[in-house]
Amino acid sequence: MYKQITITGFGGQGVVLAGRIVGQAAAIGDNLESTLVQSYGPESRGGACSAQVTIADGPIYFPYIQNPDILVCMSQSGYDKQYPSLKKEGVLIIEQDLVKPTDSRDHFAIPCTRFSEELGNKMMANIIMVGFLAAITEAVSLDAARATVAESVPKGTVEKNLKAFDKGWEFAQATLKGRRHKAAGQIGVVA
Amino acid sequence: MPTDFKIVLFLCNWGPHVAYQTLQDRRADIPVEIKMVRIPCSGRITKALLFKALEMGADGVLLIGCQSGTCRYGTGTAAALENTEDTRQIMDLMGLGQERLQLGNFLPDQSEALLAFLQEFTQRVRDMGKSPIVPRTAAAPAAAETPETVAASHDVFACQDCGKCTSACPLALAGKSFSPRFVAAEIIAGRAQRPEVRAAVNACLTCGTCYERCPSAVNFPEFIKAMRHYYQGGELTAAPAHGGFFQSMMRAMTAETLVPRRWQALPDNIRVREKSPILFFGGCASYFDVFFRKFLNPQTERILEDSLRLLNFFDVEPALLADERCCGHDLLWSGDRDNFLRLAALNAKALAASGAEELITACPECYHTLSREYPRYGVTLPLKITHMHEFLEREIAKGAVAFKPLEGKIAFQDACRQSRFNDQAELPRKLLQRLTNGTPLVDGGAPSVCCGNSAWTGCDAFSKRMQVQHIEKAKQAGGQMIVTACPKCQIHLGCAMEDVMRGDELKMEMMDLTSAIAKSIYWA
Ligand code: SF4
Ligand code: SF4
Ligand code: SF4
Repeated sequence: MYKQITITGFGGQGVVLAGRIVGQAAAIGDNLESTLVQSYGPESRGGACSAQVTIADGPIYFPYIQNPDILVCMSQSGYDKQYPSLKKEGVLIIEQDLVKPTDSRDHFAIPCTRFSEELGNKMMANIIMVGFLAAITEAVSLDAARATVAESVPKGTVEKNLKAFDKGWEFAQATLKGRRHKAAGQIGVVA
Repeated sequence: MPTDFKIVLFLCNWGPHVAYQTLQDRRADIPVEIKMVRIPCSGRITKALLFKALEMGADGVLLIGCQSGTCRYGTGTAAALENTEDTRQIMDLMGLGQERLQLGNFLPDQSEALLAFLQEFTQRVRDMGKSPIVPRTAAAPAAAETPETVAASHDVFACQDCGKCTSACPLALAGKSFSPRFVAAEIIAGRAQRPEVRAAVNACLTCGTCYERCPSAVNFPEFIKAMRHYYQGGELTAAPAHGGFFQSMMRAMTAETLVPRRWQALPDNIRVREKSPILFFGGCASYFDVFFRKFLNPQTERILEDSLRLLNFFDVEPALLADERCCGHDLLWSGDRDNFLRLAALNAKALAASGAEELITACPECYHTLSREYPRYGVTLPLKITHMHEFLEREIAKGAVAFKPLEGKIAFQDACRQSRFNDQAELPRKLLQRLTNGTPLVDGGAPSVCCGNSAWTGCDAFSKRMQVQHIEKAKQAGGQMIVTACPKCQIHLGCAMEDVMRGDELKMEMMDLTSAIAKSIYWA
């Protein structure tokens, strides 16, 4: 098993924290190996920034990612920059309200910023995305990801952030359920 | 071979009675089990009367009238046919089997055929055995229960005589000389036995509007419920709607050996399981559809099917109680607490045996009764009670679904047991908002006025007027459809729309909220 995940967004979205949670959950919770490379690059300050997480069941010799298996885009600029590098059979995940895909490639979308606002604080979009990513890709287990979220966020916000994580996880489950039904031709209730 | 079976024969005074008399004159072998009641016309024996005989312990009931075309009053034969067919179908659903009720039509000179018919039916009843129904008489309330103790235990003495209740009561607003304040005052003054007071207790819709307004928080519906139980020691509800058919049916369901066949007509494409952590409780909608088929033709069973389909849509395959009984709401609210408790005990047993952890129901009365009334009377259920709307809100909030918007302007009819008794007027509105694309509802005032009846008790010209005014208002405000949350609201409002004097003036499309969601939801 060797999974390369790139998470991109703009500064302030918590992209690096999201990457760290995923990597830490894999390493500590799921007993795998993981690495994290964070890049703010010269474009930081509102520009694109990204986290590259590699998860493997053996040693990782090169932590940089050229062609990710999973690409998570929280901003349009991040998408524009990274999308061409995504592997052909890779999984694309986007922030539904902030990213307009440029082609018709199959992808998963979640309006995590809107959800975060609905939960009372728009700073949790990244945690919602972690929940979504974990459920869609199964790159990390539910327990490991949840426990790492609880450890990684400021004390006093743990409960809120776990709620945010669950929101992303549940939305992913609903999305997958919807896909299963659609694939079986059951789009509506009375169809 | 005389037996202790009881068969009631309702016999039309005209054609068939002549045939019967011929048999009596020549001392023909009419089975001794048959007890004959002469009636003026077979068409006048309502479903309630047919069933009443069974409720009171008859093992079989026969209705014999004139042959088609020879009815003295013209329509009797057809009416008798409809009444027996509907009653038979309900008997089937409730597990009594339709064979215990039969219609016969004979000409005056068909005495031989009549005799054969009587003998054959009697033999069939003997073969079927005794009816499982146990006749129930109303138990007198405990001697300690007096109007004073009832008033005291409901804190009616806290009434400040302010009259806010009366000024909000929909019955009073419809012009009925009816006042909750007056009822409270009379009962406190020891005049509970006055016929006006009894009639008023019977007429109350138990809608809860007064309770909302009362500055002393006098829970008037609860007080009325207790007073009805108190009165019931003498006579069951004074004027039940539809001849008390539903109360009879529900009382009959208290027989332990009766095994309802509640779900036999479920469409094949609905997926249910023998055992499941989630159990769906249907309620009485299916019985209503049969009972009102001719007059209103309601489609309330659709609500149950749509609920099951929605559960399937969200990957839930629920279990059903094959022998599900009525929750007992209407018995409790028409004063028959003893038989309510019998039903509650049977349901509690069946629900415990199901092993389910959560019960979902689409009926607000079942929801309220199972979650609030059962514990109030000491019956605890080992599972969580969830209303279908709560389940839907829970699943929809998870996301990934979308809705095709409903057309037209919508008026929402609150279910009193949901919106008032459980303070959940927001829940159905939140769901509805998603279907209307934010178009505001007609009138908007929540919760809306009562649909016109509760527990099949005290329906009269004033409750009718109230309904008509209510529908007129919705129409004037541009409403094109009424969305309901309770199968009974559909029936009662549909009934008001049938007003012959008004033709089609009051007609309006109606749809249950659960069905509306089923119609418009899809995986985005
Ligand atoms: S609103 Fe309450 S206090 Fe006022 S008259 Fe009615 S019952 Fe009495
Ligand atoms: S419960 Fe409703 S019908 Fe009964 S007195 Fe109160 S407002 Fe009137
Ligand atoms: S409103 Fe109509 S359906 Fe309802 S109880 Fe009265 S007569 Fe029956």
